[in-house]
Amino acid sequence: MEGQTKFTPLFQWHKSHKANFSIFGGYEMPLWYKSAKDEHLSVLISAGLFDTSHMAGILVKGKGAKSLIQRCFSRDLDNCLKNNGPLCPGRLVYGVFLSEKGHVIDDSIVYQVGNDLYFVVVNAGMGGTISEHLKENLTDPSTDIIDLTDKIGKMDIQGPNSVKIMFSCVKDPDDVFSKFPYFSFKGFFDPSQDLDLIPKIQLINGKNVLLSRSGYTGEIGFEIYCLKEDTKDIWELIYEKGKNYNISPCGLAARDSLRAGANLPLSHQDIGNWPFINNPWDFCLPWKEYKKEFTKEFIGKASLERLIQENYSTYTYPFIGKDLRKVNLEDHPIVLDDEGKEIGKVLTCCTDMGISLVDDKVISICSKDKPEGFKPRGLCCGFVKIDKQLPYGIWIYLKDSKRKLPACIVKDIRPDRSARKNLKEFI
Amino acid sequence: MKEIQELIIPEDLKYTKEHEWAKLEGDKVKVGITDFAQDQLGDIVFVELPEIGAEFSKEEQFATVESVKAVSEVYMPLSGRIIEINNELEQSPELVNNSPYEKGWFVIVEPSDLSEMDELMDKNKYLELLKGEE
Repeated sequence: MEGQTKFTPLFQWHKSHKANFSIFGGYEMPLWYKSAKDEHLSVLISAGLFDTSHMAGILVKGKGAKSLIQRCFSRDLDNCLKNNGPLCPGRLVYGVFLSEKGHVIDDSIVYQVGNDLYFVVVNAGMGGTISEHLKENLTDPSTDIIDLTDKIGKMDIQGPNSVKIMFSCVKDPDDVFSKFPYFSFKGFFDPSQDLDLIPKIQLINGKNVLLSRSGYTGEIGFEIYCLKEDTKDIWELIYEKGKNYNISPCGLAARDSLRAGANLPLSHQDIGNWPFINNPWDFCLPWKEYKKEFTKEFIGKASLERLIQENYSTYTYPFIGKDLRKVNLEDHPIVLDDEGKEIGKVLTCCTDMGISLVDDKVISICSKDKPEGFKPRGLCCGFVKIDKQLPYGIWIYLKDSKRKLPACIVKDIRPDRSARKNLKEFI
Repeated sequence: MKEIQELIIPEDLKYTKEHEWAKLEGDKVKVGITDFAQDQLGDIVFVELPEIGAEFSKEEQFATVESVKAVSEVYMPLSGRIIEINNELEQSPELVNNSPYEKGWFVIVEPSDLSEMDELMDKNKYLELLKGEE
């Protein structure tokens, strides 16, 4: 990443808590504090708190906001909720921004905040790129596109105890948590915005937040957005309240292994500068009928239609290993079939420390049917890009310069995740 | 991450620039990785050790340690034959983190040329190396 290293408002906190750092997306971010393994497990069994202030937000505001996002973003805002309902204030949706070639510029979550107000969240360092992309496609000059890169704070609290912890951090918790489905949000971080369609959320320290029931771990929890100057106070409040519930600060290593186990892509690694189709995430294209027809016009549509017609045959699949051994991604590992022929490359390879193979079945530390005394030893997992279609259950090999490891193509990785469960089970 | 002054560097061991240690025990040499190495790697979740009887030359890779984040190689401080491996590491790889110089040892080597021990760094030289890596 070019340019000077950036720091989030929590850098000094991480430093004083002995974090190991790494540069990610141009930011000096904690990789782990004491133990990446324990941090991974804490999200599965108690709670983890992640600094995600390196991510970027963009406000899109005005009469042309909806049509602009409809054209640039992969989801059909008129038809993206369960039962084909439209996005509405208080709801968010995951999707991608595509180029004309149908390649991924970045993945994103779009929050509808008001009738003509959207909050677009993209990855670290991508605020400028996506803002420019939106501006280039803007037809209504009265619509504002405001890049909030480095102007807001963000943190994620994830794991089963995150609900109890946030219950103790918000004002009027019974109201806030009474109806709070997966992929909905309440509140907004900027009190100067005049909002009447979503309820206001204040923490007990008086700070305003956007509280979003979402995350990047596959486990129940929240993403929290705030004003930059409030970030440290809010982090410390949640961390203090969380101590009663075994909260751990978590770094990027645990974030990466949790998201891989949860079957979620890392932008610019698992999705990127190649056609966004034939992968576990192409559900976020606006299909009318899968691989037949789209519901709307959008950038990248013509290319994807042409690729479908030409039977584009590159596929991205999740895989699991036999044990926890990995191949080294920096070594550009390849994929071999059982005859030793090269058939693709490894995109992500990490160890989900919360799972193990038991009698050829993946069992999680959270599985109700785990054997007595089960202690997960960890399982290698990730994503491979293959130059042909493969059936689930087939074994392949991952090869770097030192190792050749067997791996199995699967539909999903870590079982028994909690993200979509009823919130009331956790209060 | 530990500060240099927090790192444990025993007096009676010899060290390599790749952060292995070697300890003379009679005419055999016990080998492991240093406190600095385990701290840099983070949680060690798997250790792949050689077969007993395998022979390696100095600086040849003989083991692999796998942390949550990466796979790293471990190199021989001196030439010789493996006569014992630490079987505890199979079930409890975290011993390398918790006790790098005691319970977390890797192998015992029968050296083919004991004078190679003299080519390794002592505590002070290793400390200088670590200060250079800061």
